[in-house]
Amino acid sequence: MKIVTKSFLRYLPRRLSLSLLQLMGVACGVAAVVGMTMSAITALASFTKAVEFLSGKATHSMQRPAGPTEESALAGLARDPAVVRFSPVIDRRLRLANGDLVRFLGVDPFLDRAIRPEIADAEVRPAKDNAAGALSFLLDDDAVLIDKELARQLQLSSGSLLQTTRGALRVIGTFSNPSGEPLVLMDIAHAQKLFTLNGFVDRVDLILADESGFRGRWEEGFLIQSGRQRSAAFSAMLGAFRLNLEALSLLALFVGVFLIYNTAMFAVLNRRRDTGILRSLGARRYEIIAAFVTEILILGFIGGALGGIIGYFLTRFLTALIGTSITDLYFFLRPEPSAWSNWILFAGVALGCGASMLGGALPLLEIVRTDPAKALSGRVAGRQSGRNAHRTSLAGLLILAVSTVLLILPRTHIYVGFAGVFGFLIGVSLLTGSVLVAIHPGLRWVLGRVGRLPGKVAAGNIRQNLGRTAVAVAAFMVALSMSVGLGSMIGSFRQSLVWWMESQLQGELYIGKIGEADVPESFYEEVKKMPGLGGADPYRNVQVLYRDVPVYVASVDASVVQRFTHFGWLKGGNENWEQVKRGGVVISESFSRRFGIKSGDTMTLHGAHGPAEFRVGGIFYDYTTEHGLLMMDRSTFLRVFGDHTINSLAAFIDPDNPHRLELIQEIKKKAEARGLPVQTQSQLRASILKVFDNTFAVTRSMRALAIVVAFFGIAGALLTLFMERRHDFGIYRALGFSTGQIATMTLLEGLGMGAVSYLLSMGAGTILAVLLINVINLRSFNWTIFFYPELGPYAWTAITALVASLGAAAYPIWKVCRTYPQMQIREE
Amino acid sequence: MGRGMGTGVTGCRLQVTSFLLLLSTILLAICMLVSLGWGAQEGAWKQAVEPWKWHFPRDHGAHPEFRTEWWYFTGNLMDTAGKQYGYQLTFFRQGVALQPKDPQNSWSIRDLYLAHFTLTDVSLSRFWCDERTSRTGPGLAGAAKDGMDVRLLNWSATMKGNTILVEARRQDMELSLKLTPRKPLVLQGEDGLSRKGPNKGQASYYYSYTELQTNGTIKTPGSQTALRVEGTSWFDHEFGSNQLAQDQVGWDWFSLHLSSGQDVMIYLLRRKDGSPDPASSGTLVDRSGKATHLALSEISVEPLSHWKSTQSGATYPSQWRIAIRSANINLVVGPLVANQELVTEGSTGVTYWEGAVAGTGTSGGGQVTCKGYIEMTGYAGSLGGVF
Amino acid sequence: MAEPVIRVIDLWKDYADDLTNAPALRGSSLEISAGEVVALFGKSGSGKSTLFNLIAGLDHPTKGRIEVEGQDLELLGEKGRTNLRRFRLGFVFQFFNLLPTLTAFENVFLSLELAAKPDAAVARDALKEVGLAGKEHRYPNELSGGEQQRVAIARAIVKRPSIILADEPTGNLDTATGNQILDLLTHRCRESGTTLVMATHASFTCRYADRILRMVDGIVVEETSGEVLAR
Repeated sequence: MKIVTKSFLRYLPRRLSLSLLQLMGVACGVAAVVGMTMSAITALASFTKAVEFLSGKATHSMQRPAGPTEESALAGLARDPAVVRFSPVIDRRLRLANGDLVRFLGVDPFLDRAIRPEIADAEVRPAKDNAAGALSFLLDDDAVLIDKELARQLQLSSGSLLQTTRGALRVIGTFSNPSGEPLVLMDIAHAQKLFTLNGFVDRVDLILADESGFRGRWEEGFLIQSGRQRSAAFSAMLGAFRLNLEALSLLALFVGVFLIYNTAMFAVLNRRRDTGILRSLGARRYEIIAAFVTEILILGFIGGALGGIIGYFLTRFLTALIGTSITDLYFFLRPEPSAWSNWILFAGVALGCGASMLGGALPLLEIVRTDPAKALSGRVAGRQSGRNAHRTSLAGLLILAVSTVLLILPRTHIYVGFAGVFGFLIGVSLLTGSVLVAIHPGLRWVLGRVGRLPGKVAAGNIRQNLGRTAVAVAAFMVALSMSVGLGSMIGSFRQSLVWWMESQLQGELYIGKIGEADVPESFYEEVKKMPGLGGADPYRNVQVLYRDVPVYVASVDASVVQRFTHFGWLKGGNENWEQVKRGGVVISESFSRRFGIKSGDTMTLHGAHGPAEFRVGGIFYDYTTEHGLLMMDRSTFLRVFGDHTINSLAAFIDPDNPHRLELIQEIKKKAEARGLPVQTQSQLRASILKVFDNTFAVTRSMRALAIVVAFFGIAGALLTLFMERRHDFGIYRALGFSTGQIATMTLLEGLGMGAVSYLLSMGAGTILAVLLINVINLRSFNWTIFFYPELGPYAWTAITALVASLGAAAYPIWKVCRTYPQMQIREE
Repeated sequence: MGRGMGTGVTGCRLQVTSFLLLLSTILLAICMLVSLGWGAQEGAWKQAVEPWKWHFPRDHGAHPEFRTEWWYFTGNLMDTAGKQYGYQLTFFRQGVALQPKDPQNSWSIRDLYLAHFTLTDVSLSRFWCDERTSRTGPGLAGAAKDGMDVRLLNWSATMKGNTILVEARRQDMELSLKLTPRKPLVLQGEDGLSRKGPNKGQASYYYSYTELQTNGTIKTPGSQTALRVEGTSWFDHEFGSNQLAQDQVGWDWFSLHLSSGQDVMIYLLRRKDGSPDPASSGTLVDRSGKATHLALSEISVEPLSHWKSTQSGATYPSQWRIAIRSANINLVVGPLVANQELVTEGSTGVTYWEGAVAGTGTSGGGQVTCKGYIEMTGYAGSLGGVF
Repeated sequence: MAEPVIRVIDLWKDYADDLTNAPALRGSSLEISAGEVVALFGKSGSGKSTLFNLIAGLDHPTKGRIEVEGQDLELLGEKGRTNLRRFRLGFVFQFFNLLPTLTAFENVFLSLELAAKPDAAVARDALKEVGLAGKEHRYPNELSGGEQQRVAIARAIVKRPSIILADEPTGNLDTATGNQILDLLTHRCRESGTTLVMATHASFTCRYADRILRMVDGIVVEETSGEVLAR
């Protein structure tokens, strides 16, 4: 190895603590990216796989536009010349006794094997004394097959009972399921019984030979979707979620690269003087660059590899979190964290090296272009002049301006929005140098008050070493802004949701559960007739296609809802229901924004008897689905879709009804007698909030990760500052500074930088929250979140900043206390 | 009892999957248990004991009080270019329970319907087969009780007046034929009660149309387009509740149309020791349609060569010398295409050979040629174990 | 007189980012012949270091012309100037400027490596010649100031340059050590016929010089009076 390179690499072991911090910085940055990206990819791939597995070999599916499909259609399908194979499916969700909601398929094994041969490969192990054991799938109405993973998880085998909210089911065999979605399989006859669907199926999966001919014969009253349309619809369903994960991955990338950049930049700044010496000895630029690149790459390589490994373990944790979110929001998914592959290591190394090179490039360029005389001139590296800082700020302002344009451009792709947000963060981070210069007097005063002379010196050090401190403050500020911004956004979202629940969920009791336990119509009739009851709202929520994308239609009793709830309307009040009573609809804000439909417009849906037109009576705020929701009266719904299903029944009682409590008890009793789940208003609200909180678990962990990453950033910066000025400490000692004063100075440097970062992040974070709410959320979810300023995120972030600054200062202080007495005025 | 029992519930399934196989094996197992005496306990299925009081067209329809029933069509065809083809279309009804568990639910199972469909292209030496299975379901499969109208998804056989329409279709393989009897139907065995073994009830009710004038269209994966064909078909309808005896390993069944106008049916039940079961017998139908029962002693069938299947490893006879002494008939018969084997997953062993054959010989002293179908079961090893 | 090995003509240097101060060089000119030992005497801030940096091609003059061994530095280009430093110039600094992560030996060897003459024995001999035998494997922070400067001298001399520029070589040393160092430096240069230019603000340095140039506020004046020596 060349001596030039050696002279650089020797720093790694010589400044081991700093090297380790830098290494951890790179590793954490890489881990964040690898972890987030991989788990997002894994979870989404698992979703796609589940969808593909369920679709099997079907080329098309056919169903009524809403609600179940009459099985009488099957005889016709069997004889249709275009139908190669078909399989009727009952596709539901089943709540297990442990609370998990799993997918449940009711199929005819004879018909289904052409569509889903994997399922037909089930290993059925009949009990020995019963020859009809395997036939029991067809004959016993509690017989089910479950996938091997679920069996393993629940420790079930052939013959065991699977406890569910619909009773115990007997497992007679298992099958392998390559998708991450747990699956319970039952014969269609028993499935119809279990879900009281006699005479109906949910859809028919088809293998078609002649699509257009088939459509010509069946399109009237049926929704026929090709596999591509179906998977497009599924992707659309996950679109916003996918976007959210992508955004978080990008965020991780941003924070990660920023930190690695920070690290690489420090490494370069550290070598300023050495560069000068080498150049004066006649070393060429490329030799110095090569030496640097080697050093940076070693850090990037080891850190990247380490980060890959940490990221892999992070994936296991994050994948489970994402799985939980998908489960809560869409359907039960058990994404398997991807297995270890050397590609992860490779990706980590590539990322570590790439980001390090990116981070090192600019400072490296600067340093080799600097005349060696200047580098040697005795000016301590990193002492950046205020003018330099202002020049950087100018670039920052330029980026901010571009970002602003990106953010206010109407109707652009959401990625443009992301670019704007990241641009904003980069722009703000470039302003830190100027901010540090500007607030120096204030900081000096404050630190002076706190730490007297050491405090003033500390403030001076922060100002003098702008090259170092500005970068560290910027990185820390960005991380803290993330914390404040994401925290405020989530808080505001939660508040908006609470407001929404108060406006819509006014029933005393909610009977039944969407996707789990439907309410028999007879029960609705029974409850409706109860004397003294204010009203009963038979709620039905079903996915339909509008302009070929999935949206939700809800049917309600408009007069009951009008009387007992007060929806948050974009315009007008509860008189908007009048249109609904007359056969119109009201639509959610997301629906309106997504399709550009306004109050008073007319829209067309495909019903069971062909197209039906609706007039839009009003637009309401809604956070239940980003896909768009439209509500119509039950009478309209029955007329158009002929679907009598009731997902849940809300019972309303006048608050001043003297028999309120007795009524509640009576309804509860009636529901329990039928085995229907009952939730009180507060229970329902609590469960919605729980889902909400689960959904943001991933976001919260990314927030935590950003802080960890930033911690290494600021710790690295402080340690570098400390090491560079160690010789100064001899002077302080000569001047009569005590060990305590030096420690105070070091501490205040850390706290000062932390405080400035925090102050900046309060502003930047608030703006970030507003951007997330008004740009990202609005564009990706099409709903308005109301900004509720809350103390929480700021307080939490303040504590985080304090702890991180203290933690970052701890090691240098410890070093001071240990070595200060021996320090002398000395130049190396 | 004759050919098909047992095979009926498995048969040709080139893309069969293990779950279905399992069901099939279980159905076989039921059959086996029934033959071992379970039938007596089951009791409720009607047994073929007394001579049947035949009423047509009613008896062309289903007899659900019996456990097993099949409608069996085979035929030798020729297109306008003179190329030869063969077909088989078979419908089985296998009773699972006398009453469905939940009569309100159309999917609740009483019977399972299964069908096999094969086409043989002699000029290409190719053989194709497919199968279907379904429960009755909401109009997916079934058989009328008052006449021949048996359907399984889009495969069907219906009789209108004196004409039977058989239809089967999958993407690249179609059959649509009109069958008109040239001779009156023949009651096999003793007035239609066909003995299959020494035990009581070990029999089935069995009748045939031995010669049906056939025309219509077929489409094979080899032809791509529909071909006009005509020829001669054979139809069997059989129902009963009991199965093979314990020591029977399989059977060979022959249906031959002689150029002399005679039709011959022979079934040989093979015992474990290789000897034919005494219940084996045959029927000779003369030019006018008059049927004569043939006892085992009047028949001689001697394999002349063998063919080994590369798919299943089974070795089948591939040429026979057939002699019916009482009628002075001597024939040498061989397959039109060597491989007309219907193979399921090898391990289960429910594999059989059924295909178009032709031969030459003498009848009553005169030279004759013959065409027909032969079915051979129990050669792929383990079938003997199952039965 | 032979062709001068260093010729500086009307050299000006303005530090753009240092508005408060007057230009560091305001029209300096000088000529130094091969084998001469010259002291460039002046106060701190008089422009000595600036002049050195310009002669070494480490910085660019605002105006004026520098010729080293007859070649115009500006015309040499970056590559040529780097080669000049590599092969023809040696540097000795006030703060020694040894690479802290390299041992004494490696610091010297580095110079050879850059001059494309990597010979460990030569480097060891060089260290022996400056009296550091046995201390080859010490790091700079394990050496005294004088020893560090000896390493720096070895590093400069080892590649046998034609010119050595020494910027306050004793500025950071006590007088006794300083004298030892100057003795060593001048001795070695005279021995090998190397041109030596020493910038200094200490008069005793001038005693070791053949010729003294005086630097006042960015202008070089030839010292003829021996006034410095007198003080």
